[in-house]
Parts: sequence; structure tokens; C-alpha cells
Amino acid sequence: MERKIITILLLFAVFTVKAQDKGLNLFTDRDLYVSGETLLVKVFTPAEEQSGIVNIDLINHNGKKITGVILEINNHQADGFISLPDSLSSGFYLLSTSTRTDKMITYKELYISNRFSGLPESNSDMKPSGIAPLVDLSIQNLVVEGIEKQYKTRQKGHVILQLPSDLISQIDGGLSVSIAGTNPGFNTLQFSQKSENVVIQSNVKEGIVIEGTITDLKTAKPFKNAVVYLSIPDSIPGFQYFVTAEDGRFSFQIEKYYGKIPVVIQCFAKEKSNLLKITLDDRNNLKIALPLFEPRTFTPEFRKSVEKTTDAITFRKIFNQQEITVQPAPIIKRDAYPYYGNPTKTIDPHLFIDLPNFNEISKELLPGVKFRNYNRVPTLQVFNAAQQFYFENQPLILLDGIPIRDLNVIKDMGTKDIAKVEIVQNERFYDDLIFPGVIAIYTSKADYTRVPESNDLIKLNLEVIQPHAILNSPLQLRLSDPDLRQVLLWNPSLKPAPKIELDFQTSDIKSSYKLIVHGKTSDGSTFYKEQIFEVN
Amino acid sequence: MANRIKYIFLFFSLLIATSLTAQEQFPRKWNTEKIKGTRQIPYPAYSGFPFLNDKFAMGEIEFSDGKKLNNLGLRYSSYRDELIYYNSAISAQIVIDKISLKSFSFTEENGVKRFFRRQYYDGFLPGERFFEVLSDGELSLLVYRKVVLQTCPPYNDNGGILKNMSYQLAYNYYIYNSKKGYELIRINKSSLLSKFDKPTQKVVKKLLRKNNISVTDESSFVRAWNLIKENEIRIDF
Repeated sequence: MERKIITILLLFAVFTVKAQDKGLNLFTDRDLYVSGETLLVKVFTPAEEQSGIVNIDLINHNGKKITGVILEINNHQADGFISLPDSLSSGFYLLSTSTRTDKMITYKELYISNRFSGLPESNSDMKPSGIAPLVDLSIQNLVVEGIEKQYKTRQKGHVILQLPSDLISQIDGGLSVSIAGTNPGFNTLQFSQKSENVVIQSNVKEGIVIEGTITDLKTAKPFKNAVVYLSIPDSIPGFQYFVTAEDGRFSFQIEKYYGKIPVVIQCFAKEKSNLLKITLDDRNNLKIALPLFEPRTFTPEFRKSVEKTTDAITFRKIFNQQEITVQPAPIIKRDAYPYYGNPTKTIDPHLFIDLPNFNEISKELLPGVKFRNYNRVPTLQVFNAAQQFYFENQPLILLDGIPIRDLNVIKDMGTKDIAKVEIVQNERFYDDLIFPGVIAIYTSKADYTRVPESNDLIKLNLEVIQPHAILNSPLQLRLSDPDLRQVLLWNPSLKPAPKIELDFQTSDIKSSYKLIVHGKTSDGSTFYKEQIFEVN
Repeated sequence: MANRIKYIFLFFSLLIATSLTAQEQFPRKWNTEKIKGTRQIPYPAYSGFPFLNDKFAMGEIEFSDGKKLNNLGLRYSSYRDELIYYNSAISAQIVIDKISLKSFSFTEENGVKRFFRRQYYDGFLPGERFFEVLSDGELSLLVYRKVVLQTCPPYNDNGGILKNMSYQLAYNYYIYNSKKGYELIRINKSSLLSKFDKPTQKVVKKLLRKNNISVTDESSFVRAWNLIKENEIRIDF
């Protein structure tokens, strides 16, 4: 009886641990790259993954983040690309994939050769060692037809993938299919390690998180009751706020923004007039336990392959051949009107005579706006139309959507500087925030350079979710140009079907190529099927 | 033996408890949808009542993007056709921007749940309106719970001031279909029967009689309407 109970409990424990350890799976188009190239990446996430985004970071052997991207998870998978900087020195690198909610980080080792210096003269480099690799299952019942053993350059090829119905029913998400140059005898490993970062058990469904701490500038201690604003300048500006607790911490989630966006974070004390400082969490400072690195000597074939790839990349750069085309970001329907409400009045100063400063503009053009500059101390009040008096407190003043508190920023703005002014003559509420009227100034340049950076105001150009990209086809090349593609086919999200037909065309590079199909079953395990052919 | 099992159970209970606590130790209020609005200005004091509900009732709002917020003290102003919520953090009555809402609902003290939906009304005085949904489906029964400020015979208010205006109910009931739009309907039996052809009228009358429904007011009209829908009798619209 006792044994039975112990066995049941142990089984329970084993399954619990197993379920918790189901991590992310990471695949790249190749294992060897040259600096300046584009790395294509595919990630499969566990079905129970809570997060809606995945971070892909390129890390050197010292654990320093070189570059990274944020990808959106759709149907338990994500795909994207990383542009490898030209300045990367030759060596083994780790590509890590992680989410805010997963305890495990999955790594894949890669070799990147510098385009200008090539492989080290010592003919060896430090390679990760002593790792327990993640092993994919080579699947037999997925049949690849139509691949010949040898192709000529610029020859068209046709592949047919035959999937039995039982396999289709097991597949979770899509299939990833790629054909890319390969170096037989050089394979890199994928492994996972427990994250040393704090794992947040919260739903970050559709965006990235910005976190930081507000401290008192004098005492350097965390500041309670600081109001932190996050604004995203736009035609309809984005806005969020956070009131700090004892720990001075704040966090924002930026949802469904793609590419690079300007973000302004600022703070002020809710009740007192303390000078505050914003410190954002450094996402580049990854707390990771790196594996050991040991020297590895390169084979002559590997060296030759690197030289050939380097030449190809150099020529691609000369001919300005892009590997991928970034698709336009999806159009997201955001707020139909600004967070500060629909304006009571909108004034375009350009329709009137030129006025030299905001004082004149307010007097001549802005009804219900009282801007005064007595003793060089500017003040601004807005008329409350509902109750027929001027608000006592300063209204919410926005410059290109960014809240400003110092009126000196706008006092010198004349007609030439202002595209339009929106006035809200109501007491506006945004959750627990009260705005005694709103003046929203949109500048002609719309570059918000007038907003000065300081300890309590940070301007960021934030890389958010990476837009989708597709591999360029050889049809986009001019006939006279050399075709120097390393990747002949990259289709990271194929819908499983009994018969999948794909076309490709070989390039001018004579080398070994590998067709590889990756997929994930609903039990969380990944499988692959590969076939190697030559182009000569 | 029993002791050993006890310890094992205790160990696993602690393990489960620890893992559950670990999952809950980061309760973050992610940036949920924020309520936007303006301060509610008191209405002129006349006899009658400008609101639908006397007190703030706990309810839920649904924003235009589908996100929901619940446990809010809500009050519907029939006079201005606007939704007011009480923000306890700043002790303010706030009129929620109509355009930001898709629907709202609240439960009255007697336990009756009322559901309102924002829809564009293209008839007389077109615009976005909150309609209370009495019966939903392909063909909905809606009511626009309007209160109007009208002149009335002179009266003295509580302060002895002579007034000649009062808030008066001006409810309008509509049959609504997304393709065909709105059709005004009166809350009585003949109006209901007029939505059927002669042979069907007999069936409807028999059905109402069988179920002891006499259409005299709003609630009996809604019961009759739902009964007709349940029996899949086609309504002419």
C-alpha cells in the first residue's frame, strides 16, 4: 500500500517537473554565418506558454548581448530575422530564446565569421562544451520527394512533402521548411538552461514590457507615489501611467506596436516637489549561466567553406542584394480619439497672421486659453465651458502628444512652429488622473526635439515587435547579376497538409545544401526530416 | 508506516503550496483599459427624475475594443443618455465617453440585470444612443429610455420656488435588425399582433392565452416576445 502511494506521488512529481520543463525550441536557417548577413530564426513555444511574445538575443561567449529582436507568437510559433552587425568578431555565439513567463532559456550555438578578418589565424576558437543538447526526433513517416542528389546552378527544383494523416493530427502549429547552404561535419547544438532572471507569472499577451525604478535624486532611495507617464507620440498619441508603491517600481506594457517607435517616459512626485530620477531596467544585462567554452580547431573544409561564404556575402553587399523584404506592419485599430478627449476647438495658426510667440497666439487665436508670462514665470489656464469659469490649476499640456509641465518649453513657439492646437474646455478624467482642461500642441516638425531630456524624462527609440519578413526570390535579381543566395527556401509557417508542394531555384554558389523540415507535435516534442543535395 | 505516508503527503502538500505561491507572488495590474470621461455636472433641479437608477448599481462596461471592466458603480442618465460611474479613488462622478463604450450592464437592487448597447440611430435626431436590450437576437427588442425636460403646469418645489418644468419619461421601443434598421413599436397587444399575418395572429393569441400572458406593460410584452421567439413564429419586419 505504502509503495503504491509513494509510486503514485513520485509519478506525479515526475510529470509535474516534466510539464514545467517543456521549453522553447529554436531553429535557424544555418549554423555558420558571416558578419553582415541576415540570420533567419524559427521558434516553437509550448502550448501552455502564457506570453504572447518571445525574445531572441545574440550573445557572445562573455554573456554580453550583441543584438536582439522581439517576435510575436502566433499559433505557438514565431519567426523572424536578425541582421548580424558587420563589426562582429569571429567566434562562437549563442542565440537565446526566452519569454517572460518561461523558466527555461533555449540556446543555439552558431559560428559567425567576421567578413573582413575571416577565421582566427590560430585556426581555432572557443566553443561551448559540456552541454546536454536538446535532441529532435528524426521522423520517418514524413516523406520528402522530388529532391535530386545533384543540381546545376540556377536550376529549378520541386519538392513534395507527404504527411500521413496521423502525423497531421499530431502537429501543433505549422511546419518550417528551409533549404540552405550547409557544411557537412559542422553541426551546432541546441540546449536549454534555467533562467536566472525573475520569471513573471503574468500575462504579457500582446506586447513588450518596460520596467524601471523611480528614485529620489537626493537620497537615491526608491520613491513612493511618483506618477510615471509613458507617451507614444503619434497622430493619436498613446498614453499610459503608473503610480509607484514603496519599492518605486513601475511597469508598462506596450501592446501591438511594430518596428521602431518613439517612447517618452517621465515622472513627477504626486504630492511633494522632490527631484526624481528614472532608471530603466537594463535588458541587455542578461543574468545567464553560460556553459564552459573550450578551444576547437577548424578543419580545412570548414575554413574553405567560410572563405567561400565570405566572398559570396561581400559580392551580395556590392550588388546590394537584400536577403529579405520586411513586410509593412499590420494596421492596428487603436483609439478612435485621443486619450484627452475630443477637442472642443482645433486651431490652425497658419490660417492667421504670423504671431511670434505662444503668448500672442493664445491671446489672438485660442479662445478660453489664458497664457501669462508675468515676471518671466509663465502660467496657463483653460476655461471650463461647462461651469463657466477658468480652471485654477494648470491644464494638461501636450507637445506632439508628450505631456510637458514646464511652460518655458512652449512660450517661444510661434505660428511657424505650430501645426495645430487642440483645446479641451472640460475637466477630463483618465482613470484616476484629472486634467483641468487640455492644450494639445502639434508642432510643424513633429520631432518633439523641444522636449528636453532630464533625470525625470527619458526619450527612447524602442524596438518593439518585429514586423514579418519574407525571403526574396531570385526573380527579384537582374539577369546580369550573380545569384549569391545561401538560403534557397525559407517557409517558416507552412500549414500541415497531406501533400505540400514547394518550388525553389538553386543559386550560383556551388556547395552542399540541406532541406530541413521542422515541426512540433502537440505533446511538445519537436521532429525533423532532412535531405542533403549538392549544387555543382 | 502511517507516519511515513503522512510525512510524504505533508512534503507534497508543501511542494504544491510553494509552487502555487510562487505563481502568485507577482500580482501585477497590467495596463488595463482606462476609463475616459468628463466630470458630471449636476442637472437642473425640477420635479421628476433624470436618472434610470436611483443609486449607483454595480455593473460592467465593455469598451469598443471588446475589453471589459467590472465591479463599477454605474448610473444611467436617461435625461442626457450618458453613463456615469463613481470613481472612489478620486471621489468623482464621471461621465464615461460614449464613443469609448460598446455596451454596459448593471444589476439593480432587486436583482434585475439590465443590459445596454451603444448603437447608431438613423431616425429622427440621429446619433449614437444607448439602447436597453430587452430581447436580443437576429431581431432585437430595444428601448431608448429617454427622459425629457418639458414644460408642465406651474408648481412650487421644496424650496418654495415656482417652476414650470419637469423631467418626464419619453421611452421609445424599437424592433431592430442590423440590415433593416429600427421600427418603432408600442407596448400593447394590438401592436404586437400587427407584426403577424392573420393566420399567425390566431396562433400567437392562442399561445399567449395558453401561457396566461396578457400584454399590458413592458414586462408582459417582453415575455410575450420571447415566447413567440421560442416557438419560432416568424415576425413580420
